[in-house]
Amino acid sequence: MKLLPKLLGVLVALFIAAPLFIVVPMSFSTAPSLEFPPPGYWLGYYAAYFTDERWTQPTINSLIIAFGTTVLTMLLVTPATFAVVRHRFVGRGLANLMLTMPMAMPHIVLAIGYYSYLGDLRLTQTHLGVIIAHTALSVPVAFLILSANLKGFDRNLERAAMSLGATPLRTFRHVTLPVLRPGFAISALFAFIQSFDETVVAIFISGRESETLPRKMFESIRMQADPVISVVSTLLFAAVALVILAPVVWKAVSRRRSRPDARGGEPVAKEPVPNPCAPTRVQLEA
Amino acid sequence: MRDPYLQVSGLTKSYGSVQALGGVSLDVEKGEFVTFLGPSGSGKTTTLMIIAGFENATSGSVRVGGRALSNTPPHARNIGIVFQNYALFPHKTALQNIMFPLDMRGVPVREAERKARAMLDLVGLSGYGDRWPKDMSGGQQQRIALARALVFEPSLLLLDEPLGALDKNLREQMQIEIKRIQKSLGVTTIFVTHDQSEAMTMSDRIAVFEKGRIDQIGTPQEVYRTPSTPFVARFIGDSNLLPGTVLDPDQGLVRTEHLGLMRLPNRLAAAAGAPVTLMLRPESIHLAGPAAGVAEDAPNRADVSVHTVVPYGDSTLLIGRAGGADLRIRLRGPEADGIGSGAALSVLWPASAIHAIPAHANPMVQP
Repeated sequence: MKLLPKLLGVLVALFIAAPLFIVVPMSFSTAPSLEFPPPGYWLGYYAAYFTDERWTQPTINSLIIAFGTTVLTMLLVTPATFAVVRHRFVGRGLANLMLTMPMAMPHIVLAIGYYSYLGDLRLTQTHLGVIIAHTALSVPVAFLILSANLKGFDRNLERAAMSLGATPLRTFRHVTLPVLRPGFAISALFAFIQSFDETVVAIFISGRESETLPRKMFESIRMQADPVISVVSTLLFAAVALVILAPVVWKAVSRRRSRPDARGGEPVAKEPVPNPCAPTRVQLEA
Repeated sequence: MRDPYLQVSGLTKSYGSVQALGGVSLDVEKGEFVTFLGPSGSGKTTTLMIIAGFENATSGSVRVGGRALSNTPPHARNIGIVFQNYALFPHKTALQNIMFPLDMRGVPVREAERKARAMLDLVGLSGYGDRWPKDMSGGQQQRIALARALVFEPSLLLLDEPLGALDKNLREQMQIEIKRIQKSLGVTTIFVTHDQSEAMTMSDRIAVFEKGRIDQIGTPQEVYRTPSTPFVARFIGDSNLLPGTVLDPDQGLVRTEHLGLMRLPNRLAAAAGAPVTLMLRPESIHLAGPAAGVAEDAPNRADVSVHTVVPYGDSTLLIGRAGGADLRIRLRGPEADGIGSGAALSVLWPASAIHAIPAHANPMVQP
């Protein structure tokens, strides 16, 4: 039966999407607090989100922190991944373990540790403090994604480049980096999302000045169940959907644009648009 | 005497306690096509990687045109390489791939493109410059890889099992193609393969590798007709190897364990009583006609009872027992008609078909 698996698929998709059917309508609600179904519809809470500094400032903080975390993570993870994947050295197993360890630790345990340690360094309640803590959490994910990509990288490509006259540096720039670009992009994207989503550590470390969006959401739901939360949730969902769908749309558009080649009479192949999700899924399953 | 163009001398390579190369030496003349033939793990690819500069030899040296290469990094060696998996850059089109080495050498774009297009013509893919590697067949990718390795006029072309991934028909086509291009450019070429027929059809000379050493270097004819070790005899073509002892070196007489007396075409260098292995190619064995009247104890003959018949179309392989051991006989065309399993045959072979391989042959001695 072909129908049954399809039906199951639809049911699973509905189950996963269910919260959206509640959250999205609530974001347009007129109710003074979170209420479903909404008594009426307006855009007031959207206006509130974009104008109220108590919401815009945490959003900006979150973006700054996520961006800083991404940059710092990639600076650390890139050389670490090349070292661990490509070289045999004493302590390689240990390095591998240390790089993935934060993933296995409960966030609350890490948060308490960072709270006292960063406190000693006078970095709590600063952007830098949160960036450092988030980087520790982003490193494992970024490392796992990048190392899976690097392991699958054909080293003959680099050998070929060198035999063709490229110095090691130019080999990296012209061959290694472009071929691994999807891997780097996914790695960085996940580092960014990890930081942007993170709540527990942020609650402990970020203070008034560096309050992140998830922390603000958590506090506002605890205090007053502010409907702006559903606005933020809806916007976050839209942003994620955009990131995932962009490559698909891009691919479809560029395919439509290709024309038969004048010389060979064959269709011109467009540059392959890497599907950023494909390698990630493989790697997370593995 | 003029120095050889490529001079490999005394290469050894050890990985910990494992010795991958145990002293590889060979000379290659300019424009020559030399094949490294051997089973996997015999050291042929390791030797190639040392020549290319991707591996360091534990000891020994590589010289090209009289210049030692040991301190030259791979990118400065000016050696073109074609890998088994082609290693085309997936983010560049066919033309961009071929232009890459010129770009690295600072050749102006216009000239680089002109040269790259000329190479595309040479490999027969003129209209394919804008294709992406993933949209090309294995054979086409192979040609692009070849064009890319040749466009910068390398001093040496290294081919690492380049035909291994292609199907049989395409492989034969590419053998001819590679040979044609190599000849037209006159580039000195090292070709690595484990396929003996590839080695036979393409090479000026073949170096047969075994366990990190070169057993024999010679023309395809030489390694086929006068192998210097039993390994070479077994690895190249089909053969019967017959252990025996020298009876009379001056008369060229040998007593074999299974097929009795053998008379060789020339005198033997070994002393009487010395052990020797004789090689007899299956295709040089003939049926004795009914009226041949050869005495049973005459040399260079045998009585065979056939137990296996393998038809190949153009020839038939018969395997039968003779003197307690298997003897392989290959008969051409209709000669084998009517011979079935269980047939008793009388066969003979000319003295010139027998080649003596000295026991404990020194692998480095060339015939």
